[in-house]
Amino acid sequence: MAKVFIYPSTSLILSDLVARYGHTPLSSAVAIRERIQTAGFESPPLQITPEEPKKGLKWAAVEVPSGVRGRMALYGPMIGECEAAIIINDADLAFGCMGCARTNELITFLVRQKDIPKLDLYYPKNEEEGVKFVAAIKRFLTGLGEGK
Amino acid sequence: MTPPVRIAQLSCGPEYSGVQQEIYIAAKEVNGEIFYPDVALKDVLRDFDIFGLDVRSPDLKLAIARAKALVEGRVDADAVFIATCFRCAEGAIVRNELRHYIHENSKLPVVSYSFTERTTSGTLLTRMEALTTIARRRALLAREAQQGITLGLDSGSATTKAVVMKDNKIIGTGWQPTIEVLKSAQDVISHALEEADIKRNEVQAVGTTGYGRFLVGKEINADLIQEELTVNSKGAVFLADRQHGPATVIDIGGMDNKAISVMDGIPGTFTMGGICAGASGRFLEMTSKRLGVEITELGPLAMKGFAGRVPMNSYCIVFGTQSLVNALATGSTREDVAAAACHSVAEQVFEQQLQEVDIKEPVLMVGGTSLIEGLVFAMGELLQTKIVVPPYSQYIGAVGSALLASGFIRDD
Amino acid sequence: MTDYKPALVGSVTKYVVVESFDVTPADLAARAYEISKGAMIKETCFGLVINGKEDEVDRIIAELRKIDPDHIFIKDRGFPPGDSRRCRANLGGARPGYHGMEYEMTVIPYVSHGLEVLKNNDGTRIAAPENPLMRRILDISRLKKIIDTEEP
Repeated sequence: MAKVFIYPSTSLILSDLVARYGHTPLSSAVAIRERIQTAGFESPPLQITPEEPKKGLKWAAVEVPSGVRGRMALYGPMIGECEAAIIINDADLAFGCMGCARTNELITFLVRQKDIPKLDLYYPKNEEEGVKFVAAIKRFLTGLGEGK
Repeated sequence: MTPPVRIAQLSCGPEYSGVQQEIYIAAKEVNGEIFYPDVALKDVLRDFDIFGLDVRSPDLKLAIARAKALVEGRVDADAVFIATCFRCAEGAIVRNELRHYIHENSKLPVVSYSFTERTTSGTLLTRMEALTTIARRRALLAREAQQGITLGLDSGSATTKAVVMKDNKIIGTGWQPTIEVLKSAQDVISHALEEADIKRNEVQAVGTTGYGRFLVGKEINADLIQEELTVNSKGAVFLADRQHGPATVIDIGGMDNKAISVMDGIPGTFTMGGICAGASGRFLEMTSKRLGVEITELGPLAMKGFAGRVPMNSYCIVFGTQSLVNALATGSTREDVAAAACHSVAEQVFEQQLQEVDIKEPVLMVGGTSLIEGLVFAMGELLQTKIVVPPYSQYIGAVGSALLASGFIRDD
Repeated sequence: MTDYKPALVGSVTKYVVVESFDVTPADLAARAYEISKGAMIKETCFGLVINGKEDEVDRIIAELRKIDPDHIFIKDRGFPPGDSRRCRANLGGARPGYHGMEYEMTVIPYVSHGLEVLKNNDGTRIAAPENPLMRRILDISRLKKIIDTEEP
C-alpha cells in the first residue's frame, strides 16, 4: 500500500478511490484526528494551538500569515511522507482545511517538487469524463504496485 | 439572565492560527455568543458572484456569502465580527470591503480585526464589549442629555480623569497621571467633587471607563462600567453638539488609538490599534521630554515648525526616538522636530486605522492628545478637513461615563 | 489555559456517503446496526458516520460497500459523530467542510457512472482525461502560422 497525498485533502471522491484501489489516502481528517485525540491545552474547534503556526515556520517564513503556517503544520508532514499524489486542479470549492488559497498554492508547489508519481486531473463534468476520470485514477493507483 | 448577544463571525484562518478559542473566550466574557451564519453551497456560489470581489480563497468566498445573508436578513444577528490573518492581502481586502458593505447596508455594529497566533482574548475583549454594548444597550446609548448629579471616571493607561456633571453641565473636573490605579482615581474624584462643591453622597450615579474601569468600578461601586469605545463616542458627540447624523471620532491615547465611525451617537464600525507605541501619545510624551518642553508646549512648538524638513518614521517608538535624536544632532530645529513627531503619529494612525473606518465629517479629535495642536493640525492636513476638538476633550471618557450613568439614576 | 482531555482516543471515524436511487441512509444504518459489534453508528442526511476501533470500522465498511459498491463512498473524519465542536446546532451554521462535500456530491454521479463502466473493464483502453498541466494557450505567432499554412 502506498501513501497517496490527495488534493483537495478533504476530498471524499479521492479519499474513497485511493482506499478502494488498495492504497492509503493522506487526508486532512487524519491530521485533525491526531490533534483531537492528543492531550494538551484546550484550543477548540480543531485543537490547533498557537504552537502550530510556529511549527509551520518549517515550511513558510514568519511574514507568512499565521493561518497559512498553521495549515502547513497539518500538511507539511503529509507532503513529507507521501509516496504518490493525485491533484485535482479545479478544486476551487474546498473549504475549511483547504479554505486558504495561499496555503493551497504552497501545498501543490511542494508536492510538485517531489520526485514521486503524480496524477493531475480536473473534476469530471459529465458521464463520459467520469469514466475517463475513474479509469485514469485506477490505472495510476494500480501502477503504484504495493508501495513501500 | 439576559440572552447572549449573537455575534456573527466572518473569518478566514482563526481556527488554523490557534486563536479561535480566544475569540470564544472574549465573546463569552461579555455575554456574547459567536456563531457562523448558515448558508448553503448554492448561496456561496450565487452571492460570491453577485458581490463581485473575485478572491481565490474559498473561506473568504464563504465569508462574503455569510455577509450577504446577514445584510439581506436571511440570518439574524445582533453584531458582526470580521477577522482575517494579519499580513494576508487577500484577507485584508475582503475584511475591509465586508466591513464597509455591512456598515452601509445594515444597522449591525461591526468590528474587524487582523490576528496573529499571538492574539489573546484580552486584546479582543474591549472590542467585543463595545460590540455587545451597542447591540444590547441601544436605549442607553440613545441618551442625549445628562440629568441629576453624576460622576464619570476614566481610568486610562496614561492618565486618570474625573468629571462631575449636574443638569447637563460639567461642574467639576480632576486630572492626574495614572500611578496607582485606585489612588489616582480617588484623588481625581476628590478634586472634581471639591471643584463642583458636591459631596460624594449627593452623587446619584457613577460610571467608569478606561483600562482600569473594572477595578475602579468595583471599588467605587459604579452603576455603569463601560469600555471606552462607546463611552468616548457618546462623550465626543455630546461635547461637540453633533448628536445627530454621522461623525468620526479619533482618540489617540497613551497606549492605543481608537477610530470610530459614529451615527447618531452610536458607533457603527470602529478599530482599536496598539501594536506599537510609536503611533501613540506615549511617543509625543517622549518627544517633549527629549526636546525639554512640557507636553502642553509641544503643540505650539510644532505649529512653528515644518514637518517635511525632518525625516521621521515612528512605526516603532525606539526607531522613532532614534530619528528624533539624529535630527537634532544634525542641526534640525526643535520646532521642525516637534512638527515631524506630530506628523509621524498622525500619519500612522491615518495609515493603520483610519483606513478601517469610513471617515465622515465632522471629524472629532478627543482625548489628551487632542490638546496638542500640532497633532490636530497634522491630522487635518492628512484628512483634508477641519478637525473639531470639542471643549473638555481631554475628559471625553469621563464625560461620556457621567452622561450615560445618568440613565441609572433611580427615581426613589 | 485549560487542559484538554481527549475522548475516544485510538478510535477512527469514517463517513459513509450514499448517492443512490436504490439505497437510502436508513437502509445502510439498518445493515450497519445488524453487523456492528460495538461501533458507534449515526445516520445523517447523506449516509452514516461510524466510530470505533479501526478494524471494526473497516469490517463494517467492507460489508456496507457490498450493498451498492458504485454508489457508496467513504472518507475519514477527524471528529467523532455528534461532536459539539463541529455540530451545526452549536456553530449556528454548517462546518466549512460540509460545503466542500456539498460540491463533490454534484460530481459524484459521474464518478459512480465511471465505476459502473470500469467494473468489467481494466481501463487500459479508455482515453486519458484532459491533463491540466498540458493546457497551454496557443501562441499568437503559432496561430498565425497555422492560418498561413492553411490551403485556400
